[in-house]
Amino acid sequence: MLDVGRHPNIELLAYSEVEKVEGEAGNFRVTVRRKARYVREDRCTGCGACAEKCPTLVPDAFNEGLRNRKAIYSLFAQGIPSTHTIDADHCRQLNGKKCGICAKTCQAEAIDFDQKDRILDLNVAAIIIAAGYDVFDPSQIPEYRYREIPNVVTAIEFERLLSASGPTGGHLDRPSDRAMETEIEELEKSVGKSQKALSKFEEKYGESSAAFYEKYRSGAYPNDEDRKKWADKYADHLTVVEPLESLKKKAEGFTVAKRLAFIQCVGSRDFRFYPFCSGYCCMHSIKEAIIAHEHGPDTTSTIFGMDIRAVGKGFEEYKIRGGNHSNITYIRGRVAEIMEGPDNNPVVIYEDTRERKVKRQEFDMVILATACAPSKGVVALARTLGVELDSYNFLKTSPLSPVDTTTPGIFVCGCAESPMDVPESVAQASSAAERAAEIVFQTDLIKEKAVA
Amino acid sequence: MTKDILIIGGGIAGMQSSLDLADMGIKVHLVEKLPSIGGKMAQLDKTFPTNDCAI
Repeated sequence: MLDVGRHPNIELLAYSEVEKVEGEAGNFRVTVRRKARYVREDRCTGCGACAEKCPTLVPDAFNEGLRNRKAIYSLFAQGIPSTHTIDADHCRQLNGKKCGICAKTCQAEAIDFDQKDRILDLNVAAIIIAAGYDVFDPSQIPEYRYREIPNVVTAIEFERLLSASGPTGGHLDRPSDRAMETEIEELEKSVGKSQKALSKFEEKYGESSAAFYEKYRSGAYPNDEDRKKWADKYADHLTVVEPLESLKKKAEGFTVAKRLAFIQCVGSRDFRFYPFCSGYCCMHSIKEAIIAHEHGPDTTSTIFGMDIRAVGKGFEEYKIRGGNHSNITYIRGRVAEIMEGPDNNPVVIYEDTRERKVKRQEFDMVILATACAPSKGVVALARTLGVELDSYNFLKTSPLSPVDTTTPGIFVCGCAESPMDVPESVAQASSAAERAAEIVFQTDLIKEKAVA
Repeated sequence: MTKDILIIGGGIAGMQSSLDLADMGIKVHLVEKLPSIGGKMAQLDKTFPTNDCAI
């Protein structure tokens, strides 16, 4: 990533979109819209002081909404370019409210609320599409109850939970436990406030609220307005304290997730959604199970799949190593349903096809290995570029020229072409680069001929 | 005649293509929709089968 940002031959146009493409191989005229960041790229040093002071919280898409970011943000800590960006949908200043705190904080004077989108015209010989994919939304499968049961998460959400730079600092805290901890924090804040108000009354009348309340309820102060206020405050206080105490007691028992279930083929190899195999998910689940075991040696993982597809160099060995050293059990069977058991524990109902029995098993967390879905923006992009898509909306290619699109001079690589893992994406990317370079050098040849 | 190349998408595939072409001495314009490059791979903690860090 750093190399890309530093390379003298690469012009990095982040936060930009291709709007129009005309011409043909060797001579494409491209219009690129550079979206306004409201931060001057030539001045921003990426120090992050603005984000520290920004008062607006927005769910952080990079962390799959598992934590919040500010309205002025960098996508992630090591992001390149490190220039911050103001989220125009959420920024108070840009939505007509009074704010501008970031502009006051920024020592480099990089904030520019009047920045406009810029249009850039490029002339290129070839184009490579590396537009990637989208994660399949498993809430389309009602029986898996994603979003209904908090401890059912997607593989990419689990990845963020495992990450040391993620929302939990790498601890496998369950989403339901995290939600309860947030609730406890909020309740504690409101208890703190009411405690303050009560202590004023306590000082004034020289007795504890509890003792006073006892007397008040037995009718000791019939027409005392001030004491009535005190009593009301104390009654409100009690309604918060009691649930807080019971939540706190529950939270004492919280541990990190130790019993994990991975469910394969969520959206892929499923005729309701995508009939194809997404390829990387089996290995992704094994990797997540191995890393989880590295984090906590008593973690056990169960991977439910129709079959485990470990096709690739070193993959089968990795799978076996996971089974032998990382407490992974592989169960051949497709999960029929996920229910919610006690303590927010998901219960998986499945048929064990080896024993021919329907079974149920309780876990701390369930991870859905979601399909590689074509990216939503690719339809518009394909129209702009004038290239064809296949029936699923991946770029159309042929088996003998797997990086050539239907338009000469435009190539494709990575998951925009079809689902693939990192090593395959890298190989295809080099292949597409070489095909594009051929166009460049061909134009050289034509020129030489013309001169001769 | 131009010798530049446009790459759409700054994930692992787009980055690899960019670097390959740039190393060949070709000028590359890398367009990314989001504020930073890295794509889905930047979200990953480790990569299989070697458990190498993704970033």
